[in-house]
Amino acid sequence: MTAEKSTRVVTDSAQTTGWRVPITGALRKWSTIAAMLAVCAGFSLATPYFLTISNVTNVVFTMVTSALVSLGLTYVVIAGSFDLSIGLILTTCSIVTAMAMPAIGPVWASLLAVVVGSVIGAFNGLLVTYGRLSGIVVTLGMMFILGGLNNYLTGGYQIAIANDQTGFLFLGQGNLVGIPVADLILILVFVVAHILVTKTKIGHYISAVGDNPMAAYYSGIKVYRWVIVSFILSGLLCAVGGIIETSISTSAQPVGGEGYLLDAFAAVFLGATVMGRGKPHLLGTLIGALFLNFVTAGMNMIGAPFALHQLIEGGVLILAVGANAMLNREELHMRFI
Amino acid sequence: MPGGMDAAPGKGEPIVELIDITKQFKGNYALRGVSLSLYPGEIHGLLGENGAGKSTLIKILTGVYGPTGGRIRVAGSDVAIHSPLEAHQLGIGAVYQDAELVEGFSVAENVLLGSESRGWFVNKKAIRTEATRRLSEIGIPMDAGRMAGTLSAAEMQLVILLSLFHKKYKVLVLDEPTARLSATETTILFRLIDVFKKEGITIIYISHRLEEVKRLCDRVTVLRNGVVSGTRDSSNISEEEITRLMIDEDAKQLEVHNAGLAQEDVLLEVRDLRTERLQGVSFSLRKGEVLGITGPVGAGMEDVGKALTGLTRFEGSISLGGRAIAVTSPSAARSAGFALIPEDRRRQALFNDMTVGFNLSLPVIASLSRWGLSVNRLVTRYALEIVERLDIRPKNTDIEIKFLSGGNQQKAVIGKWLRAGASVYVFIEPTAGVDVGAIKEIYGIILDMARRGSAVIVISSAIKEILALSEKVMVIQDGAMALYKDRSEARYEELLALAIMSRNAAANKAL
Repeated sequence: MTAEKSTRVVTDSAQTTGWRVPITGALRKWSTIAAMLAVCAGFSLATPYFLTISNVTNVVFTMVTSALVSLGLTYVVIAGSFDLSIGLILTTCSIVTAMAMPAIGPVWASLLAVVVGSVIGAFNGLLVTYGRLSGIVVTLGMMFILGGLNNYLTGGYQIAIANDQTGFLFLGQGNLVGIPVADLILILVFVVAHILVTKTKIGHYISAVGDNPMAAYYSGIKVYRWVIVSFILSGLLCAVGGIIETSISTSAQPVGGEGYLLDAFAAVFLGATVMGRGKPHLLGTLIGALFLNFVTAGMNMIGAPFALHQLIEGGVLILAVGANAMLNREELHMRFI
Repeated sequence: MPGGMDAAPGKGEPIVELIDITKQFKGNYALRGVSLSLYPGEIHGLLGENGAGKSTLIKILTGVYGPTGGRIRVAGSDVAIHSPLEAHQLGIGAVYQDAELVEGFSVAENVLLGSESRGWFVNKKAIRTEATRRLSEIGIPMDAGRMAGTLSAAEMQLVILLSLFHKKYKVLVLDEPTARLSATETTILFRLIDVFKKEGITIIYISHRLEEVKRLCDRVTVLRNGVVSGTRDSSNISEEEITRLMIDEDAKQLEVHNAGLAQEDVLLEVRDLRTERLQGVSFSLRKGEVLGITGPVGAGMEDVGKALTGLTRFEGSISLGGRAIAVTSPSAARSAGFALIPEDRRRQALFNDMTVGFNLSLPVIASLSRWGLSVNRLVTRYALEIVERLDIRPKNTDIEIKFLSGGNQQKAVIGKWLRAGASVYVFIEPTAGVDVGAIKEIYGIILDMARRGSAVIVISSAIKEILALSEKVMVIQDGAMALYKDRSEARYEELLALAIMSRNAAANKAL
């Protein structure tokens, strides 16, 4: 009797695992990319100009700054926190670069901007850890502070870069072996950032802390340090984005950085569904940012109104993250952040 | 020195000395002058009833709490331990029952977390090779590349222990390490402990299982009411002596008996209840009847309670008062008349940062309101009434519930449901983490609820508890009913044998 029962249970479970797991496994891993490819295929059917070299290079070029910001945000989200100040850090660093350049030259001005971005990130990190404040609240506050600072520094006017700064302008406007320098910088930053996450202790410990801070703590890992490092990296990458942005537009704008915030969050969380990790990772973020920019370009090409852009972008994000959540269903969902 | 009060293994200087440690919580003494010496390579058993002060002592040693008085010496010099990290730096570590892993990491990455080789880069291949070596060295049949999130609770515990091995601990605290392990896994654990011992690591071994303590430990210290009632060589200590050291009351005083409170009419009918771990359990329950369900932890008994209170999906039929009901969620279960007193009260039943009054009145807050707004005066009056009836101490409804002792917290969880109009109460491990005195009171409360006509299901791994409270007893073994009969016909030895037997069977299966 008991033997009979247990055999039946075994066959039951064999049946369920037999077909369900591989399909959801493959679905989970490839569904986002498949859907992205399908959307791009749709655009290229709708307009012959979508899948052209000039459009692709154009899209890649326009995404450089937002991709840099998104990569920075990815570190903080991996560490288990939020950084809402990213867009404004970019603006601040852009202003610092433009203002300092006449006095100390482009190299030192850019380095100064990187230092400023990192210090702002460190400040966020310190408040979130030793200050015991929530990441959302701290970085929201930082967003307002930087907004005020940016306006104060610029007086509300853009700061132009002198036309003779050819070396600096080459960063955002030049080409190297036919490829925009900005693209090359993004690739370089991505490769370094990716190695940082996958191969070094920085990434290893940030991932551990973000996954389970208590386990990390009991393993003797300095949890606060790695959270702070993630915020510093976020600020640093925003600074790089700010420098490139300044070079591309030959000026620093007093406002506008806040626009990157939503794009970056969209890229990070869309990217988390890529390859079925369910957790943010840098490659996913890059693919997510690329896809969102392709959607924008495609919508432009088919002449869709701007209102529709936002609608589609929001819809895509919720759909992708929602579908991923369905596949990764936990027993009980009790986190509402 | 047979049975001497200060039996020492007589080798070298103690690695850790706790001298005259006291700890007060809000005026209540948890520890009153506890002294304990630990020697290198010693396995030291720590015994005592729930609430005797074991966990407080360990938390002081590992830096979770600071002591109110006394000194700690490590390797001969005085130290102050303010945090687990500082304890870690001194070479003192602990595995708690709720210890955790980084679930997004592989077994290998977890085993070596925090002790990777030097330098900036992480060599994942080397980590995997090293972890595989360690797993096979101890004889744990597990793939080092598996994600920690996919491990069972028992496997997780083995991985946590393995991860402690190379953290250069001098003293390691193991708190009920075998509670969730099968026989095979227990064997592996003991092998691990042997390796620790050979390395000269001192282990404090907390367990309720006397057999294990006698087998593993060199010395045993028994705590009672916050003081050391004795330290003995474990080679020549008898069960009777340990029991005598643990309990100051006569054991018979503890015994509660359900003389038969069931009324005529059947209230609850459960037919062919099936869940992932449960294969067809049927029973009926009359008003005022107490059904006790026991069995090995993890073999299915928990699912009966979870199914009835909407916490897990199930097949089968449930009817209450002759009417078939659908229990699809905890809220559906509550409106049908089921109340659950869960095992993990801190996480599943209490709002730790809220007051006693808030916690007690939550299920009935609507009735303590006027025009949809809750009235403080009514809430306080209601809560005080419950506090009086269940003798919850201190008798203050305005303090945060986290400041109450385990026993009083448990009374508060019961008190929450006292007037919520439930007809069936489901208790899961009702006296886990509750001190001896409070256990008796909680038994009294449960029997009183039955006396007032409620049907009660007690799910517990403590067989004595089941025998004390129940009118009917059931043993669930490997997901099936192995025994279901009147309490008067059931013997202690019979239940115990069933529980142990299935445990071995489960272990054989795992092999």
